[in-house]
Amino acid sequence: MNDVTIRTIDLVKRYPGADITALAGVSIDVARGQFFCIMGPSGSGKSTFLNMIGALDTPTSGDVILNGRPLSQERNLDAVRAKEVGFIFQLHNLLPTLTSIENVEIPMMALGVPRRERRQRAIELLGSVGLSHRLDSIATRLSGGERQRVSIARALANRPAVILGDEPTGDVDSKTGEQIMACIHEARKQSGATLVVVTHNPDIAKGADRTLHMKDGVLQ
Amino acid sequence: MLILKNLLRRRTRTLLSLLGIAIGIASIIAFNAVARGFKASIDRYMQGSGAQMLVVNRSAMAPEYSRISREEVDFIKTVQGVDHVSPGTFTILAGRVLQNVKKTKLKFLTVFGRTPGDRLVEKFKVGIEGRLFQAEDEMMIGADAARDLDVKLGDTLTMYAVPFKIVGVYHSDVKFEAAGCVLSSTVVQKQLAMGTSVGLCFLYLKDGVDWKQVRDAIESKAVNLAAINTRDFTQYYDQLDYIDWFVWIVSLISVIVGGLGVLNTMLMAVSERTREIGTLRAVGWSRGQVLRLILAEGLLISVVGGCLGLFLGTFGAETLIHWAPRGLDTRYSGWLLVQGFLIALSLGFFGALYPAWQASRLSPIEALKYE
Repeated sequence: MNDVTIRTIDLVKRYPGADITALAGVSIDVARGQFFCIMGPSGSGKSTFLNMIGALDTPTSGDVILNGRPLSQERNLDAVRAKEVGFIFQLHNLLPTLTSIENVEIPMMALGVPRRERRQRAIELLGSVGLSHRLDSIATRLSGGERQRVSIARALANRPAVILGDEPTGDVDSKTGEQIMACIHEARKQSGATLVVVTHNPDIAKGADRTLHMKDGVLQ
Repeated sequence: MLILKNLLRRRTRTLLSLLGIAIGIASIIAFNAVARGFKASIDRYMQGSGAQMLVVNRSAMAPEYSRISREEVDFIKTVQGVDHVSPGTFTILAGRVLQNVKKTKLKFLTVFGRTPGDRLVEKFKVGIEGRLFQAEDEMMIGADAARDLDVKLGDTLTMYAVPFKIVGVYHSDVKFEAAGCVLSSTVVQKQLAMGTSVGLCFLYLKDGVDWKQVRDAIESKAVNLAAINTRDFTQYYDQLDYIDWFVWIVSLISVIVGGLGVLNTMLMAVSERTREIGTLRAVGWSRGQVLRLILAEGLLISVVGGCLGLFLGTFGAETLIHWAPRGLDTRYSGWLLVQGFLIALSLGFFGALYPAWQASRLSPIEALKYE
């Protein structure tokens, strides 16, 4: 059990109003430290699946066991997201008025980490993604690749057990995409976190320990 | 960090919202200060007379309409416990009938009719330039009125088409007295066709006499009269309450406008930052943390706006008094400033409460999809 970071049990997600079944009973185990890749076309349910295991959304039925904790029994999913999960979004979703350091501090603020400790950790993380020279740059003044690297540092801020990437290279050119993936792999290696990435891009899947395809809400 | 940066992002909007609160609070402070100043002036005037009691006509809505007959004055003098009675008349003269009117800010001149040599006139001795008036064709004028009418000791001032020689220029810390004049009661009686009646009587009591016994003795015999303690004068006349109501109604309107400004600012801020709020929720911020963030932004606007309002209110009231017609005064109290600041905080809190609640209810998934 300890070797499994993510376990989903017959995960179903229906949207009754729209009569859509986004996930149709997904059961899977992802081992600790593994790079797990899910590929599939738009609307296949892969982002919905990612949101479920990231405690951003709740299933209609079934359960997610994250780092040994069944999410259905968790009363505070905010704390689960803050402690256990690091998100890397396609559009990075940095707060535009904040600097790189401040953006990385945001998840630590959720856990009430003292200011000095937050800042120190943010500087270290930004250094590890090669942005020591951009610590005080406002997010809007960074390039697309730099923004995504800040978002990688942000995802690692609270030392999560799981890093979730939703098309992390979808908004940059292929060369930058390679650099970003290299950065993510390095971060995973150093943190020992489990990495789950959903993508259209087969090049990303090449480096994965395990790749599954999703279609119509079912993993194949 | 986040609060300040969010507010500075839309500087103009934040500034307008802040000004909305500031103007609301400033109007509360300024109007209240002037209204309280007016009441305080009346209180000071009453205390300055040295009298313990005042007798007026019970039916008169305001002291200028009060009439007390000669017989009633004679009766008051006989009441046990009364040491001295100073009858007085009182009227207000329109500024337009005065000389040098074009240059003056004196829109009206308060005319106090007094008996020459009476105890009530003695107080003017202190600091007077010249002397007390002694005859019907003489007058004393307040320093503010003299300055505004461009007259000085020894000059002649024409009122009611009658020339009066200025024999004294007095100083008073009561603005409407400093912007008024004192002359013989008989002049006012003649001009207002009062006959031998007077407007009001100031009563000086013998030592150790209970004013309430004197009141009962007067009111039981002279049913037309009301005998009041000079300390209670501002409470006795109901129309002064209208000033308070007017002040609070105008203030309330300003405050509502200020509150709507905060509400609008924070609603726009939440709407514009939906995606960012989704990000905060996604990285682990709780609903409570998002709620507190938006509330804190509203409160910061209100704290700065409130402080600015307190400054503008006091500065504005003083400016108003400086440029307004003579006779108005201001009075501030710590409690008034505290009230103003608390109202500002309430505006920020309640103005931001709904937007904050709305932000905290956002689903992180939906918020992250928001374009």
